Amino acid sequence: MQHEPPRPLLELAGIAVGYRRMQVLWGVDLVVNEHESVVLLGANGSGKTTLLKAVMNLVEVFAGRIRFATEDITRLRIDQRVRRGIVFMSETSGFPGLTIEENLLIGAQFLAGQRARRRIDELYAAFPVLAERRRAAAGSLSGGQRKMLGIAKALIGNPRLLIMDEPSAGLSPLYVKEVISVLSRFRAEDLALLIAEQNAKFLVLADRVYTLDNGRIGFSGTVAAMQENDALRRAYFGLQ
Amino acid sequence: MFLYSLLAGFLFGLYFSLIGLGLNLVFSVMRVVNLAHGDFLMLGAFLAYWLFTLFAVNPVPAVAIAFAGFVIVGLPLYYLLVPRLLRAENPEMLSFILFFGLSQVIEAVTTIAFGTSERSIPGDQLGRAVAVVAGLFAGHTVENGPVELLGNTFPASWVASGIVSGCAVLLVYLYLYRTRLGYLTRAVMDNRAEAIATGIDVHRVCAVAFGIGIGLAAVAGVFAPFMLGSITPAMGTEVTVTAFAVIVIGSLGNPLGTAFGGVIYGISYMLMQSYYSSWANVLPYVLLIVILLLRPSGLLGRQVRRA
Repeated sequence: MQHEPPRPLLELAGIAVGYRRMQVLWGVDLVVNEHESVVLLGANGSGKTTLLKAVMNLVEVFAGRIRFATEDITRLRIDQRVRRGIVFMSETSGFPGLTIEENLLIGAQFLAGQRARRRIDELYAAFPVLAERRRAAAGSLSGGQRKMLGIAKALIGNPRLLIMDEPSAGLSPLYVKEVISVLSRFRAEDLALLIAEQNAKFLVLADRVYTLDNGRIGFSGTVAAMQENDALRRAYFGLQ
Repeated sequence: MFLYSLLAGFLFGLYFSLIGLGLNLVFSVMRVVNLAHGDFLMLGAFLAYWLFTLFAVNPVPAVAIAFAGFVIVGLPLYYLLVPRLLRAENPEMLSFILFFGLSQVIEAVTTIAFGTSERSIPGDQLGRAVAVVAGLFAGHTVENGPVELLGNTFPASWVASGIVSGCAVLLVYLYLYRTRLGYLTRAVMDNRAEAIATGIDVHRVCAVAFGIGIGLAAVAGVFAPFMLGSITPAMGTEVTVTAFAVIVIGSLGNPLGTAFGGVIYGISYMLMQSYYSSWANVLPYVLLIVILLLRPSGLLGRQVRRA
């Protein structure tokens, strides 16, 4: 029996990115295949968030190409990227001044009225804690609940690729576990993930790993291959 | 006397809310300070004046014409001015300078076009519209004249201005809290960076808010001949200061706090007029300073949007 080769969903080729005159990323190549989960590991200031922002066109791409499902999207507007199925979950995870329901409605901005309502009800079923507090301001939720809202808001439009910036930031170990468990559940629904993290716990979700050091890709491969590398083991797993 | 001042203050307060509403909406959504706000109000007043003088159009239908016309003007004006501002290092400060310049240009061009003489619309024109509307509700003809409220009589033009202003506040509330574009507008107000990352077309949202802001100023302008006395090309600056006082009292960054700020301002103003009339004109400046020192986020205390 022959296995089909993985089909690339997101491809970054030779990406150089920066803020005005300050370059942050140099010649980054990265691929996320369809239905694949990729974790991007790196220390603070290594350029993880900038890389994710480059995928969403939130920072200027100086050089290189970004493709999504074979289409060149390097110069595509953010709303067009979202319509094509790329969503970005930032560390802030939503709009604290708006209610939970309003946050979800904003996540569903590109769905027609009836479909948006159906999808919101589906996500309420998946996240009962949000359903119970649908009229409450998002700002009144705990850190972990805010992450759940961020995930629900991101998933409401049935994206093909979910990009997450440090989903463990500010969370207790218990909530980190819950976020991982929720993401595992949605991964089964053919969702591809690109997660920037410092927390190696998220590697349980990873099909492949990239490490980013000072704006350049250091390592790329499977978690098993990473664990065989002594330097990476010491840096990311704290093992001798 | 006290009850009269309270009621008159409430009617004027509703009108002051309308004056501040557009300015606060623009500030809340794009953190741009439109110092030409009062000049757009003045243009709305001149539009109503000419519509009445040349075509005998009553001020009430002129409200719809002014709003639609200025929203249409506001959309391209947004794309011409604001996106460039927002790309700057310090857009708030730059907006002060740019819109101050625009204010001066509008005032100078209007002065060249219409001169400096004071103009007004006869007060009974609004009363006539109130009488017609009241007649529709009552089922019989209602005479054009002063309106009685709780034993006190007020010019019908004050009542009409108050009612239209209250309706404008309600419509802005419905827009922000009951429409899809309104949710998106509040998302931009809440966290602009997150709104952009979520794929919201921020410029479309801001352009609509800018158009509505200017449209509301023009609507307030239609009532200016009745509520502020005569109209002149130079009235814009003073109106902008009043609008600032109202939105700072209510809550900077929260358009609906403007209604609260307007009513507080209106009642304070009328009480001052009744008991210490020579101090009444100092009131906006004193309130501005006191509120900024004691409660910079306004009496409602809502936080300013984090950009």
